[in-house]
Amino acid sequence: MLFFRSEERVNQWCREQGLPRRPILSLDQLWKLAVAWYETRLTPQARRPQPDEIRRIFAGIGLEGPFWDPQSDQFG
Amino acid sequence: MEATEAPSTADLADVLDRPPEEVREAYGRLFRKRVLFLEADGETIRMAPPFSAVPTQHRVQIGERAYFANCSWDALGIPAALHASGEVFSRCEQTLEPIHLRVSLEGPAPENVVAHFAVPAAKWWADLVYT
Repeated sequence: MLFFRSEERVNQWCREQGLPRRPILSLDQLWKLAVAWYETRLTPQARRPQPDEIRRIFAGIGLEGPFWDPQSDQFG
Repeated sequence: MEATEAPSTADLADVLDRPPEEVREAYGRLFRKRVLFLEADGETIRMAPPFSAVPTQHRVQIGERAYFANCSWDALGIPAALHASGEVFSRCEQTLEPIHLRVSLEGPAPENVVAHFAVPAAKWWADLVYT
């Protein structure tokens, strides 16, 4: 998960690296994801979200489909 | 987080006054719960997401303390986890130009910055360092 200045920079980097262009998140989406994932991480009960929770977190910021499914088998 | 470096099992055993083996077992449990990512020796912390135990291109300044993050997501995850405002110093991966984000408790100030997720969620843990 890397930062870029713009979507065009991402496209250029993917072409140069020979990598598929995958989803791009806005800074606002990235912040919402960071809060949902980590805001309780330093509490004694902290744990990584389970698959259903992960799907809910992603869906809550508009990230749906096989790419965001932690149990998808569509990517080999 | 009073320290910015990951504790060794021996250091933590000293602090907690517990046997090192007990700390090692706890690290193993946290690894299996995917809260810690350990080096191949099974006891050296490489990542305690969102924190990185090794220097990366994503540095996060919170007050007087500087931390390294594992990725762009974790760079924002550090102020989110600490419930603190701070600054993120990173780079655009394509141009390598610096990126500087000011993060308040409400989130980062607007910047022309996006994040690219190259690896599908189902593959993240398979190669967490690359992810």
